[in-house]
Amino acid sequence: MINKIKDIKLTSGLILRLLVGLIVVIYLGWRIFQTAFSEGTYGTDTWMRFLIAGLVIGGMYALIAIGYTLVYGILFMINFAHGEVMMLGTFAGYFILEAFATIPMPTEADPELMFLNARPVIALVITFIVGAGVSALMGYLLEKIAYRPLRGAPRLIPLISAIGASIFLQNAAQLLFGPQRRQYINPDFLWRGTGWMIPIGDKSVMITYTGMFSFVLSILLMIGLFILVKRTKLGKSMRAVAENKQAAALMGVDVDSVISKTFVISGILAGSAGVMWGIHNGLFNHYVGFIPGIKAFTAAVLGGIGNIPGAMAGGMLLGLLESLGPALLGLDFQLKDVIAFTILILVLIFRPSGLLGEALTEEKV
Amino acid sequence: MKVKHFFVLICVVVLALSACAPEQITETAAPVEEETEEVTDVVTEEVTEESSSEGEAMPQACLDDAFGCAVIPEGETIKIGMGAPLLGDYSMFGIDISQGVTMALMMDDGFEGWTYELVAEDTGGTAEGGAAVANKMVTDPTVVAIAGHIFSGSTDAAIPVYDKAGLPMMSPSATNPDLTQKGSAVFNRLAFTDADQGKAAADLLFNQLGFTKIAAMHDGGTYGQGLADVVKAEFEELGGEVVAYEAITPGEADYVAPLSAVADAGPEAVYFGGYAADAIVMMNQWAQAGLNDVLLFGCDGTYGVEFTEKTGANGEGAIAASLVPPDSDEKVAFDAAYLEEFGLEAGELSAFTWSSFDTGGVLIAAIESVAFVEDGTLFVPRGALVDAVRNTDFVGLTGLVKCDEIGECNASGPTFYKVVDGAWVPLELVSE
Repeated sequence: MINKIKDIKLTSGLILRLLVGLIVVIYLGWRIFQTAFSEGTYGTDTWMRFLIAGLVIGGMYALIAIGYTLVYGILFMINFAHGEVMMLGTFAGYFILEAFATIPMPTEADPELMFLNARPVIALVITFIVGAGVSALMGYLLEKIAYRPLRGAPRLIPLISAIGASIFLQNAAQLLFGPQRRQYINPDFLWRGTGWMIPIGDKSVMITYTGMFSFVLSILLMIGLFILVKRTKLGKSMRAVAENKQAAALMGVDVDSVISKTFVISGILAGSAGVMWGIHNGLFNHYVGFIPGIKAFTAAVLGGIGNIPGAMAGGMLLGLLESLGPALLGLDFQLKDVIAFTILILVLIFRPSGLLGEALTEEKV
Repeated sequence: MKVKHFFVLICVVVLALSACAPEQITETAAPVEEETEEVTDVVTEEVTEESSSEGEAMPQACLDDAFGCAVIPEGETIKIGMGAPLLGDYSMFGIDISQGVTMALMMDDGFEGWTYELVAEDTGGTAEGGAAVANKMVTDPTVVAIAGHIFSGSTDAAIPVYDKAGLPMMSPSATNPDLTQKGSAVFNRLAFTDADQGKAAADLLFNQLGFTKIAAMHDGGTYGQGLADVVKAEFEELGGEVVAYEAITPGEADYVAPLSAVADAGPEAVYFGGYAADAIVMMNQWAQAGLNDVLLFGCDGTYGVEFTEKTGANGEGAIAASLVPPDSDEKVAFDAAYLEEFGLEAGELSAFTWSSFDTGGVLIAAIESVAFVEDGTLFVPRGALVDAVRNTDFVGLTGLVKCDEIGECNASGPTFYKVVDGAWVPLELVSE
């Protein structure tokens, strides 16, 4: 009897998946066919612009997504306040850059010169260190205050706590810094709206300095993280804790300290992404972390949560989907979030463990 | 299996969360628009037409007038009423506009010994408040005209009341297009509507700037999309081509993709209906999207110091509309007098300071054209005053004020500004 019911359930699920799949395939095929053969197709230069915009934003999503994945891999919880950790990094970077822009460093050629443009590289390095540092500290405190006391509680409890922390941080930032929009002050050589012009056909496509800077930096940070997880002792203990907390503890790994360090690392990545966000996009206020946070979580699930390469691939893929998707399907650009979240739902239907799979198998949970 | 269910749950939570994503940036730079509350029952009182109290013989002009005369004995002031949000969230509009009108009344020498006085009452910006203030105004026999009301909803509720009493209105700020479509004889306005603005923008783009291919973009809001739609329709009517029409999601940080799609259609100019916050982001990504030589043409929501401050060199050459009049000797003198009187820069509280000053001027001119003195008493024939306001031909700070047959009095339309060396300069002063 029980077997029979099980059988029926399986088949109905299968039929549902098949139906959804069929509808999606027919729709996608129809839209892409339409875009490709209608007169409204875009030129090569326009496709290049979509691609570049997607890669830059994808790099930032990837950095934030790694934070979700690292924490999930170890604690099996979604740190919904991660976007706010990034927001604080953006604010810290802004205040540092603003301070540098008012420290005079006059030279003979230019008596008006400020530290920001006199030593732009040092200024940027310090900005990133402070931005990442503030976010790392925030990540550490968040875990200490909001999650550690709930370590043994059912899984939904820390989730609620995370959402509460997110709302708290957002409102605290609004009270502290005001609700107005601010704009990053970049050093002159990284000015927004300037870049290399790449000729394509008879047109030229601009690769902005800020975009290139953000993209390269996010790739470097990801490589750094990969080395940290695969090659260092800390990385080894993180992997051990992710695999089995009790066994790791028995082997002499200090589980609490590894968890704290994981939050610090994800804070560093989020803070860097926050400063990049400011440098590349300019305008921000206390809501800056909210949407990127949600998107990065989507990216993490897309790639397979708990899986670091998955988060990187998911972030990049989501960035590209957002900028290329509406154009490919010939839809309104306002619908880019609809496309992104539809893809998420489809992935959950067909591959619940994400594109690259979860790093952990179900028995371990 | 548990894990999968958990994921689905989380994803539902995420979707729900993102649905209620905070409107990142809200701004009230644009014309005053507010909730259009339906007023079901507007209490209209029959106003005693014979305001002459002691039964003395009225002058013939008053007996002939449909609404009789306002009788103002010696020693009293000629009162101009106003219904404005003076308290609460929108008080900056009411305070600013009442101060602008007060300036006009103060700077006038008066009429044959009678001086003017503004009677401003709080409407809270609501329709109910507007009706209540209107009913109060019509019971005061020395109130001859109304400067206002300020918000469209409160104005809408007040019009029928003033219509019955024969009190002419001149609103410096109610922009809802429908207000003048209801056949009211008393309602006039100095504010230009969104439709006027769109028309003026399309005309400027096609006829003066000589563009034939433009793109229209908007932020999906009532105000922004409304403007973009008007511009699109008008521009096509003039014979131009709208090659792209694209919406953006307000409050985002990256518009390269929609801008690139617009750029691909090859427009010569891009009209944008929306607020400065998004226009700034767009302007900073202009070159990235391949729009280097393309003009950004904004609306009065785009105009403002924030735009020039935050776009810097990228914003150079952009055009936007505004109801702030261009600098003239009179405007400079007014700004100085306003600062001295109220300790505030003109335009600091709202952009309506100058049009409210003109409102006062228009009403004074109309009153003086019909009022007369007999036996030491001032008579203002109400019906004649209603016609006089409608027939206004007045040059003020905001330009020519001349009403058409339905009471749209902003004959000069919006002023267009262009960013030159990081500052907004009136378009006609830009030499090229």
